[in-house]
Amino acid sequence: MNQRKKPPSEAVWNLHELLTRTDNDQELLRELLLIFKEDFPGHISGLTAAIAAGNLKNVAAISHTLKGMFANLAANKAAAAAARLEQVGRAGENAALKDAHEDLNAEIAGLLPELEAYMAGVRR
Amino acid sequence: MKILIAEDEALSRRLLEKTLERSGYEVIAVESGRQALEYLSRPDGPRLALLDWMMPELDGPQVCSEIRKRSEQPYVYMVLLTSRGSKQDTVAGLESGADDYLTKPFNTEELKARLRVGERVLHLEDRLVEAREHLRFRATHDPLTSILNRGAVMDLLGRELNRSYREKTSTVILLGDVDKFKTVNDTHGHTAGDQVLREIANRILASVRSYDFVGRYGGEEFLVVLNGCDPASAPTRAEQIRRSITSRPIQTIGGPLSVSMSFGVLLSGEWGPRPVEELLHETDMALYEAKAAGRNCIRIARPDLSNPLPQRPAHHRAGHRL
Repeated sequence: MNQRKKPPSEAVWNLHELLTRTDNDQELLRELLLIFKEDFPGHISGLTAAIAAGNLKNVAAISHTLKGMFANLAANKAAAAAARLEQVGRAGENAALKDAHEDLNAEIAGLLPELEAYMAGVRR
Repeated sequence: MKILIAEDEALSRRLLEKTLERSGYEVIAVESGRQALEYLSRPDGPRLALLDWMMPELDGPQVCSEIRKRSEQPYVYMVLLTSRGSKQDTVAGLESGADDYLTKPFNTEELKARLRVGERVLHLEDRLVEAREHLRFRATHDPLTSILNRGAVMDLLGRELNRSYREKTSTVILLGDVDKFKTVNDTHGHTAGDQVLREIANRILASVRSYDFVGRYGGEEFLVVLNGCDPASAPTRAEQIRRSITSRPIQTIGGPLSVSMSFGVLLSGEWGPRPVEELLHETDMALYEAKAAGRNCIRIARPDLSNPLPQRPAHHRAGHRL
């Protein structure tokens, strides 16, 4: 069994931290989430392609970008997972690549519904 | 104040942009190091910059390094933004020319505080430049009249003569002396004399073009250099300047005073490359002739190149002209 495959638990998305960062500007927060929604799929498909091609330099670069996006959104666990994948890519640790990627995917799987739910709430 | 944000990641760029706009900055947001360099290189470009470390084309440290090569431009205060946190990275970032370093995701209050530090540094630099310019002005200008002092106008004359010879154009030199200035001082006092000199400087300046030179050559002597002036029009130009002095009385503490000036005029272009001192000596001789002819007039120098420097009469060299 892969012990790493567990669902995200706490601090998946720290809304309070993000609101502090945006000075409680809900409109800006929504705008940031829209930017994320637009840019994120491109980064994920780029990451998948880089991993499939074994292009660790690109893995590191895309993970770095994802890390920045997650960190800015206060999605701290996803940011940490992206940071691990970036490190693996930089160090050229092929053996650790798969686990690090799965960790990131697991964090993303926990994060996206929360973001979607928030967006839906704002829309209402 | 203008600030540049260079960040390739859209979400971070928008967050920074909005945060800084709220703080009152005029924000220019770009997405590459190349664009950042282009904006920061403009004469009226931002002097405060937040640069992401990792960017396409040119990264943040490379932008810092390029900007620091341009020593003639006003100082740009640059803060690198990065999620890289090792001491080695910090050193490399600062060595590239960055002034500060901020780790992402940024804390809003820390970001603002660090930018205020940058503003203080830029303000200090502005004051230093201002002080330097003030010193430069004092070193090259006459404190009473605020026109060029003797050293500065002589220096500019030398350069202009070289240029004029090289480009085969003519330069006209005018040496003017206030008539009976000693009487002004003796009768109305030195304060009135100073007012006369200041007003004369103003009137001469108003009579020449912005690219001509006007300097205080001695106590009541003024040197005027008309750059690229057609020799045929030189007497007319000199007459215009002379008439600007006599056109109306000068208001002084001792009442309105009617003042006149005599001028020696020399056209440099006719005699090829010659030392400044020699040309000024000939202009001075023409000025002496104007004085001898009754003052309040101009005389054109006609140097005899076959002879060595002519000598002025001993009484003339000894002290003030009258």
